[in-house]
Amino acid sequence: MTTMQSAGEMTTPDGGKWPLLLLVGIPALLAAFLTITSLLRLLPMELWWYAISATDATDPRQLLYRHAFLPRVAISLLAGAALGLAGTLLQQTLRNPLAEPTTIGTNAGASIALTIATLYAPWTLEHGKEWVALAGGAVATLLVFGLVKGRRFSPIAIIIAGLVISLTCSSAGALLMAINREYSQELYIWQSGSLVQNGDATLFILLPWFALSCIVAFILLSPLRLLDLGDESVTSLGMSPAAIRLAGIGLAVALSAAVVAAVGVIGFVALAAPALVRIAGARTLRQRMIWAPVAGATLLWLTDRMVQVLPFASEIPAGTATAFLGAPLLLFLLPKMQFLPDPQGIMLSRHRRNGWLLLPPILAMLAALIWVVLAVGYDGVGWHWATGTELTELLPLRAPRVAVSLAAGVMLAIAGTLMQRMTGNPMAAPEVLGVSGGASLGVLLLFVMSPTLGRPAMLVAAFAGALVSLVIVAPTGSRRARSPERLLLAGVAVGTIASAFSAVVLASGDPRLDTLLAWLSGSTYRATPIDAFIAVLVAVAALAIVPFTARWLEVLPLGGTAARGLGLRLDRVRAILLVLVSASTAVATLVIGPLSFVGLMAPHLARMLGFQRALPQLFASAMLGGLILVCADWAGRMLIFPWQIPAGLLAALIGGPCFMLLIARRRQ
Amino acid sequence: MGEFFNHRRTPGALATRRQCLGGLAAAMIAAAAPAAYAGTPRIACLEWASAEMVFSLGIPPIAVADIKGYRDWVAAPRLPADCLDLGSRGEPNLEMLLKLKPDMIIGAYGYGLDEGPFTRIAPLHTVPFYDGTDTPYHQAEAETRKLGAKLGREDEAENLIRQAEVTISDARTKLAGRAGQPLAVVSIFDDRHVRVYGRGSLLQDVLDRLGLINAWTGKTDSWGFSTLGIEELVAVGEVRLVSLDPIPAHIRIRLEQSTLWANLPCVKAGNVTTIPPVWPFGGLAAAARFATLLAQT
Repeated sequence: MTTMQSAGEMTTPDGGKWPLLLLVGIPALLAAFLTITSLLRLLPMELWWYAISATDATDPRQLLYRHAFLPRVAISLLAGAALGLAGTLLQQTLRNPLAEPTTIGTNAGASIALTIATLYAPWTLEHGKEWVALAGGAVATLLVFGLVKGRRFSPIAIIIAGLVISLTCSSAGALLMAINREYSQELYIWQSGSLVQNGDATLFILLPWFALSCIVAFILLSPLRLLDLGDESVTSLGMSPAAIRLAGIGLAVALSAAVVAAVGVIGFVALAAPALVRIAGARTLRQRMIWAPVAGATLLWLTDRMVQVLPFASEIPAGTATAFLGAPLLLFLLPKMQFLPDPQGIMLSRHRRNGWLLLPPILAMLAALIWVVLAVGYDGVGWHWATGTELTELLPLRAPRVAVSLAAGVMLAIAGTLMQRMTGNPMAAPEVLGVSGGASLGVLLLFVMSPTLGRPAMLVAAFAGALVSLVIVAPTGSRRARSPERLLLAGVAVGTIASAFSAVVLASGDPRLDTLLAWLSGSTYRATPIDAFIAVLVAVAALAIVPFTARWLEVLPLGGTAARGLGLRLDRVRAILLVLVSASTAVATLVIGPLSFVGLMAPHLARMLGFQRALPQLFASAMLGGLILVCADWAGRMLIFPWQIPAGLLAALIGGPCFMLLIARRRQ
Repeated sequence: MGEFFNHRRTPGALATRRQCLGGLAAAMIAAAAPAAYAGTPRIACLEWASAEMVFSLGIPPIAVADIKGYRDWVAAPRLPADCLDLGSRGEPNLEMLLKLKPDMIIGAYGYGLDEGPFTRIAPLHTVPFYDGTDTPYHQAEAETRKLGAKLGREDEAENLIRQAEVTISDARTKLAGRAGQPLAVVSIFDDRHVRVYGRGSLLQDVLDRLGLINAWTGKTDSWGFSTLGIEELVAVGEVRLVSLDPIPAHIRIRLEQSTLWANLPCVKAGNVTTIPPVWPFGGLAAAARFATLLAQT
């Protein structure tokens, strides 16, 4: 084993420590400068020491310095370091450069566990909320691994499962907040990762947790390093690769859960810190395990200092700011990153079946369903089938909601199918690749900049947002750029910026927040007949246009060269498809919000039902998408009557687990 | 407007109503539920301040949005047990309203609701307390009169206004010994911030009438409060800090761990008093309740 180690160290060329020192040193200097200047404004230098040892509680400056300022600096360093270490551990154990507590679902699990505990069992928090977070994070992580166990930790499968789990958890969280509105504000601030401290209690909880983890991490150093050699070699050395992985992942989950419990979800640090130190020349695991926490600490410290000098009315939570800084960094780094080839890369099925025959029954089902949801309702006492005058009274209330759900479902499904065909990536969907996020970002920007929200302006903003994000994310045609990891990550980056931005807007306390909140959660409550008309019109137009794209969609999954060989003018085709996807997503996002899994689920359901060719698949998934959202909207109005669950939220909440089951089943 | 409520209901309706709520089809609520109190208009309230006002005028609302929230945050007057929940205040259930066919819908202010769907079901009356035209207390008086006229409860409205005056002046007598002592009134939703009530709030008007001095003289928003970092409470010094219940349980836990909170002058001096819930955005009943609760501390 010793020879193994030294061999490992020797084969890595030592590019010098300079890049690493610069990587850590420059942000650290900047952060130190910002810290000292704000400290000087807070308290004269001669009091700095005195105010720590013997704080004068009648002096608000000293109180702030001792119980808010210093703990905050310390916690930013500590949380950043913990995240850097967690990211390194995960990336090493999973052999996956994209693994971090956010992408594998740990953070989402920890966060939803804390939300549930806060709302329904606050006494559990009394004995340390780390344990609650740890339980949630562990369950979510186990779920992710359970889903992909058939695929031997395939990096892409883990990221996909993590993504689905995270989306499901966050929609569940959003739902809980929507039905507990009086508490929401505080949960929002906390969930967006605020480093604001009001004492040193959190610090003294996180500190031993981190220290202990460091010790365990360095005990695990040698076994973890063996993983570089491949599983067969580890086994031949008499060790169990699974046990090593379990230990490494367990430690990372514990670290991440502690950070979530202390300061909320802080994204990207755990991804960026290890990636940056690797680029700067930290090759061996030992180097990365030392430098990544240092880089993570300085990154978060600097981010948190910068957040405070920015001239905003209310402070942006640090977790949001790391998303703003980290997501573009990720987009920038993507072309430079080396991805391990996925041994079982997900391919589109080669199996061909026509499937036209199944369309009429699905259409009939959809029509019957629409009739049922318009007529049937629960009224607090019993179920009731409305007819005659009762129905004519209820229709103005029900019809717009059913119509916008149907239209949104159709449009999202079309967008999803187009994207999956276009990119050759089965995980492509407006929700996953950040197109819905882009659309909502456009609306949010409009919300911030303009006092009134006109429908046409919102539509333009949503369309522009969707198009821009799609152009950023969608592949440029080369095989390398089409790598599924790259695509997903770019989408995640854009989606993260959008949700971070909505967190900022939600934390601002704008009086129009209720409307925004309802929209973000995918409620159809405010749908007007005009909304319904426009949405249906666009959906019908999309259905009328897609048949003309059928040939392109058959050819595109074969790759750029093949497509060009078959006479496709790629640029033009791509531009048309981009506009089509953006327009459908924009309108759908406007009426149903950025949540929902329909764009991802519907195309897969269609394919599983046997619709393999482009055109039948498009129509079938459009019907199924409409079906799903109409059901979700109806169920949302009935389940907790007279309260209402937003349709988009319910679709995501139910769709997520269904989708996971499908993934799991197909793997076997 | 008055003839709206003139149609008489059969005396037997009381029993019918109980049965309905016991489990009969809710369609029957619309048909036969009406009057436990003959001639009482059937009112649905979309938010809490209007529910408080309607009930204070002697009309138990038949439905109120977010009843659980009302019980937690408004507390008094206690809604009748058979009052129905309308769903969230942000999205009151329209189908339920349609079923109930109330004589009037009251509320729809401050939650970004479009009035259209409600006016198609029943006449809609809004109670805009904080449009900045007058102090909240005066506005509450004016709105009480307006609502009284609208509901045919003019006498009750005058009575309510007088009663609030009397309650507050009783409290003022009890508090005479503490007159001139400053205090600050806060709500705690989160362990890092407090909502402190000041100029432009109903609670400020009540403090003025009680002859008490609000220690918080800083800026407030159009609803009469300001959200502060808790360290800013240093500015009020060792004064009495009156905290309105409820404080969410998890926040109480975190506050207990907070060394910043523990070191605040008013906390250190043991001057924090918690009083039962008072809805700071409520009407005259809330104002009178606040005065009474303060006098009891």
